[in-house]
Amino acid sequence: MLLLQNLSNALILACTYILMAAGLTMVYGVLKVLHIAHASVYTVGAFVGVLVFSWLGNFWLALAIAMLVSGIFGVLIYRSTYFYLLNAPRTVPLIASVGMFVMFTDLLQKPFLMGAYQRAFPAGGAGLSAIKTALFSFTAKQVLILLVTLILLVLVYIILTRTKLGLSWQAASMDREMASAVGINLNRSIAANFFLGSALAGAAGVLVGVYNNSVFATMGDLPSYKAFIIIVLGGMGSLPGAILASLILAIVENFLVASVGYVLPRDSIAFLVLILMLMFRPNGLLGRE
Amino acid sequence: MSQLEIRSVSHWFGGLQALRDVTFSTSDEILGLIGPNGAGKTTLFNVISGFIVPTRGEVLLNGKAIHRLRADQTIRLGLARTFQIVKPFATLTVEENVLAGLGTPYYPKAEALYKIYRTRENLEKIEQMLEKVHLSEYRFSPAAKLPIGLQRRLEIARALATHPKVLLLDEPAAGLVAQEAEELADLIRDLHSQGIHIILIEHNMRFAMNLCQRIVVLAQGEIIAEGVPAEIQNNEKVINAYLGQE
Repeated sequence: MLLLQNLSNALILACTYILMAAGLTMVYGVLKVLHIAHASVYTVGAFVGVLVFSWLGNFWLALAIAMLVSGIFGVLIYRSTYFYLLNAPRTVPLIASVGMFVMFTDLLQKPFLMGAYQRAFPAGGAGLSAIKTALFSFTAKQVLILLVTLILLVLVYIILTRTKLGLSWQAASMDREMASAVGINLNRSIAANFFLGSALAGAAGVLVGVYNNSVFATMGDLPSYKAFIIIVLGGMGSLPGAILASLILAIVENFLVASVGYVLPRDSIAFLVLILMLMFRPNGLLGRE
Repeated sequence: MSQLEIRSVSHWFGGLQALRDVTFSTSDEILGLIGPNGAGKTTLFNVISGFIVPTRGEVLLNGKAIHRLRADQTIRLGLARTFQIVKPFATLTVEENVLAGLGTPYYPKAEALYKIYRTRENLEKIEQMLEKVHLSEYRFSPAAKLPIGLQRRLEIARALATHPKVLLLDEPAAGLVAQEAEELADLIRDLHSQGIHIILIEHNMRFAMNLCQRIVVLAQGEIIAEGVPAEIQNNEKVINAYLGQE
C-alpha cells in the first residue's frame, strides 16, 4: 500500500516535470538550443495565473490566460533573441539563454512585478474531488494536476502526430534547409513551436503554484536545471524520452528520499541519476545516435 | 509551360565571386547545367530556389521576379529542388516524407494547426507518387534505412508531391550504379513528358549528354558555352575547362 501511494505521489511529481520538460524538448528539437530561459516562462505563467485568479477567482480561466501569456512571452523571446542567433555556434544562444534567465529572474523580483515575497495561490482542486481507494489516494489538487497534464499531453500528441504543423516541426528538427525546400516557413513554424512549448511551461507554473499554494519570483530556479536533467536523460529532443525520464526521475526521487533522504536530498538525487546516465548511456534513454 | 529566366546574376561570398553575370533562359525542356568543381552550379541552384539572394541580377519564373523570395515561397510558385547530398527526413517513413511535400500549400496557413495530413485523398496521392518512382514496397520503411539510390528517388517523390512546374535536380545520378542511373534517366524523361520542366546539375557526362536536350556550361562562375549536347562535346572552351581534365 505504501509502495502504491509512493508511486501515486511520484506520478504527480512526474506530471509537473513532464509539462516543464516537454516544452524545453520541443524547442530543443527544432532549434537545437538549450533554452534555459524556459524556466522564466514557467515563473511568468505562475505569476499571471495567480494574478488572474485573484481578480476573477476562476482557476480554469486563470490557467488559460496564463498559458496564452506564457506562449506569447515565449514567442517574444524567440523573435527578440534566438531568431538572430539561428546560424550562430550553439554556445552563443545557450549563453544568451542563461543571460535572459538571470535577467528575467531579477526583473520578476522587482517590487512592481512579483516582489521578494511569496503569493498564495489558493485555487485548491478547482472544483475537482479527491480520489480515495483502499490502495492509494489522490488529493483534489493531485487530481487537478493529473487531469490537466493528461489533457495537455493528448493535445500535444495530436498536434505533433496528426497535423501539418506537427509534421513541419518533425521535418524542421531533422533538417531545416530541407524543411524550407518543402515549403515550411521556418520562422513561423519555430514561433508556433515556442508558443506551444511555452504555454506548457506556463501551465506547469500554474499547477505547481496551486499545489504548493505558493508563487514567487525565483520558483523557476529549481525547475531550470531539473528540466535540463530530464531532457538529457530522455535523449535530447525526444518527447517520449522526456516523459519517460520525468517518470523515472520522479519515482527515483520519491523512493530514495523516503529511504535515504536524510543523507541525500531530493535534488542531489536528480544529479546523481544524470551523472550515472551520462556514464552508461550518454545519448539518454531514447536519444538518437 | 514554364519559363525560367536568369538575368545577369552575380554573387560574391565575401571576396570570392561565385557567379559572374550569368544569363540564360529555359523553357519546357530538360536542361543540363555542367561544369568543373567550384564552377558555381550549386550556388546558381541556391539562387534560383531562394536559398541565396544574389548580390546582383534577377531570376524570373513566368515573368515574376523570384530572386528575393525565400525557399519556402519559391516552392509554392512551383519551383522544387533536390540536393547534391541527399536529404531525406531520416526518421520519418517514406510515406511521411512524401506527406511533408504534400503539405506545401498549407504550412503558412492557420489551418496547418488542425489540418489532418493522413487523409484518404493524401494517401492515394502518395501511392501514385511512390509507384511513379518505384518505391511502393518501401512505403513504411524509415527513410534513413533506404540505400542511396532509393533515397534519391524518395527526394524526387517528395519534390513531386509539391506539384512543381520546374524541378531542379542537383546531381541526381551521383552514387548510382549504371543500372540505377538508367532507371533514373527514364524517370526524368517520364516526368518531363508529363509537363515538368527539368534542370539538372550533373557530373556524369554520359548521363547528362544522353538525357539533356540543351546544356549550359559554367566555369569559374560564368557561362562558357551553351547548346545541344553534340555542340557542347565539341566545344573547345568546354574541352579545355572541363572535358579536357578527364
